[in-house]
Amino acid sequence: MMHKLKLLSIAIIITVVASDAYGQSSQDDFRSLDEKAQSLKEEVLQLNRDLFLLEEELLFPATTQVAVFLSMDVGELFQLDSVQLKINDKVVTNHLYTEREVDALFRGGVQRLYSGNLRTGKHEIVAIFTGRGPKGRDYRRGTTLVVEKTTNPKYIELKIIDDAQKQQPGFSVKQWEQL
Amino acid sequence: MKLFACTTVVSLPVRLGVVGAILVMVFSAATYARDGRWGEVKDPHFGEVLFHFYQQKYFSAIAHLMAAQAEQRVEHHRDEAELLRGGMYLSYGLHREAGKIFQRLIDEGVPADVRDRTWFYLAKTWYQRGYLEQAVEALSRIQQALPGDLQGERQVLAALLLMKREKFKEVVKVLGRFSDRSEWASYARYNMGVALVRVGEKNDGVKLLEDIGGMRADSNEMRALRDKANLALGYTFLRLGGPERAKSYLEDVRLKGPFSNKALLGMGWALSARGQHEKSLVPWMELQSRNPIDVAVQESLLAVPYALRQLSAAKQSLQNYEAAISVYNAEIVRLEHAIESIRAGKLLIADLLEGPATETGWFWRLKRLADTPENRYLAHLLASHEFHEALKNYRDLVFLSANLSQWLTNIDAFDAMLETRRKGYEERLPRIIQKHNALDLTALMERRDDYAERLAVIVGQHNAMALANTEERRLLATLVRVNTRIDRISDDTDVADYRAKHKLFSGLLSWRISTDYKPRLRRAEKAIQELDDALVQAEFRQQSLQAAQKYARKGFEGYRSRITTLRQRLRKLEHQVKSVVRDHQHYLQELAAAALEDQKKRLRAYIIQARFGIAQIYDRSVSRVEEQ
Repeated sequence: MMHKLKLLSIAIIITVVASDAYGQSSQDDFRSLDEKAQSLKEEVLQLNRDLFLLEEELLFPATTQVAVFLSMDVGELFQLDSVQLKINDKVVTNHLYTEREVDALFRGGVQRLYSGNLRTGKHEIVAIFTGRGPKGRDYRRGTTLVVEKTTNPKYIELKIIDDAQKQQPGFSVKQWEQL
Repeated sequence: MKLFACTTVVSLPVRLGVVGAILVMVFSAATYARDGRWGEVKDPHFGEVLFHFYQQKYFSAIAHLMAAQAEQRVEHHRDEAELLRGGMYLSYGLHREAGKIFQRLIDEGVPADVRDRTWFYLAKTWYQRGYLEQAVEALSRIQQALPGDLQGERQVLAALLLMKREKFKEVVKVLGRFSDRSEWASYARYNMGVALVRVGEKNDGVKLLEDIGGMRADSNEMRALRDKANLALGYTFLRLGGPERAKSYLEDVRLKGPFSNKALLGMGWALSARGQHEKSLVPWMELQSRNPIDVAVQESLLAVPYALRQLSAAKQSLQNYEAAISVYNAEIVRLEHAIESIRAGKLLIADLLEGPATETGWFWRLKRLADTPENRYLAHLLASHEFHEALKNYRDLVFLSANLSQWLTNIDAFDAMLETRRKGYEERLPRIIQKHNALDLTALMERRDDYAERLAVIVGQHNAMALANTEERRLLATLVRVNTRIDRISDDTDVADYRAKHKLFSGLLSWRISTDYKPRLRRAEKAIQELDDALVQAEFRQQSLQAAQKYARKGFEGYRSRITTLRQRLRKLEHQVKSVVRDHQHYLQELAAAALEDQKKRLRAYIIQARFGIAQIYDRSVSRVEEQ
């Protein structure tokens, strides 16, 4: 019986304390490493912030900066597959969407579709959306707008909306000018 | 995903990621609906942050948010942005910074319910990360009962923290107040049952565990909890000398669940304790067909010869003991080899990650291990809190290292671009200055004033003819010449007709010019206005050029200095990150090696048990021979 209990005690000890084997010192080591990792993460994030700002100032100076954003309001009548963006009849970007990206747009995310530089004056922007429309039909539609670029940065938001009356997707445009 | 990793009690299931939970709880329904959709986004840059956030690209989302905040581009979402940053810090494992943000927001005044929920999520995060004192402190800040299931979860968390500190009597007190019937309640009752048994309140503890062991379970989580309760009961009664009762609990553990091996092992012991040695061989033999690395399977190698010995099958028992020793020895050799490779750095922690490190958040978990000899032994290590948290840090640090390395390449490109711009500027500047100097603005201004004066005279004299255009001036000159000729020939010829025609044409031309006076005057005034505008612009350009000459070099120098500073920061951080990656690698390797050492020790203990069994068989046979 003693022998059996010895065996059994091994099993029970293993069952109960297996994951406790590394004890307090290992936890202290982890805490110390975790503190270091957190500090580094924070520092790298701050550095990324400063680098983003430098990059933007260098690549897209305020006087010529233009950014085109894409968002989705509801978006139940349109399943977005891809977007092509043209500025002054020149294709500046093509984007093919992943499921995750569409979901992020659906939940309120706004995608920066394009960042670039334009001279002051009027410019034509054309966006062509392809995807699935109502009843799963293939859908392709373009929207055109003429923007007036001044010496302030220009932000344009293209929004995919649901036209409940027509039961069709629609597109709206919003423009910002940062002063 | 395991939310609460604990050594002696069960883990709580994940209901909602911490960030999502905070967003739902903290933000009003208008901005963050329960279906996870944001309300109106008023600043595109804030929407851009959400775009990264919803894809769980927390690093990008935080960095973009910080840049947008620095440029004041999320002003319509100022408070939400700060809360979101806190939530994302949590999801990126930066709980210290997250704590500071939430503390600040709480100090600035938030509704009591928001404050309490925020403290609760902070407490939960700190517990998960092993910061127990902070977790206790955060829990103590909650002043009111939390809504819905959260109150139950709060009590379970409080109990887990007490159990971690081995304050079992207090656990009983905390969980004694726990009355609801949610899943949290099941976890709480299980934990309370374990705590009661531990402090010697066996009857109450068993009652609670029986409650869980006999409950109806609709999910895998609950079925696993039910198995675990029955297993705990089975082993408790085995230890207390109640094999019959132990057997009845162990029989209720599912044969294919995560606790089936331990249940089979216990079942064998329960049968054995009742003298049913032949029957005990059934679960133990079943175990031998299972994964040989499992502790219960390894122990069954020892249990089978024990049963055979009890059945007086000494020869088979001896053979099985010897076979077990040989299996254990072979396993020890493999473990030693694995430990050696780990310590020699052959177990590359990077190989544990699935593909390159990404910026996926803190809820990432390693799903499977590559099938290598070392990794076969590490499966259970992954369930350990420290190992998994350190692995997550390691993965994040590898991502940071790649991020810094990418920026170092980019910053070289920025530098080159700046240099090209500076050279272009230096080359173009003399040409532009030369061109500009050729433009005598003062002379142009004088000419403009002259035109303005002349126009004033025309207006004063109402001199419409002065506003005649080039063609009209030519016609007027022609009419003057024609009139001179008429005068010259008038002595010899009858010129009455000519004079009449000349008068007619002169009159027509004068009439046309006079009747068009006002529009002409407006055009002239407009031309002077345009001239004024052009001169103002020219003056502005002149000033800009002068300013550019003065400041452009300073601008280039400013960028150069920023690039230099940022490059230095990049290099310093790259070095530090690499060093901490190595520290994590070393730490993880040591944890892995220690886990394998532990397994080796256990196998050695089994070998001693096996040899003891063999010795007993020989003793008995010697005694028998002596008796004969």
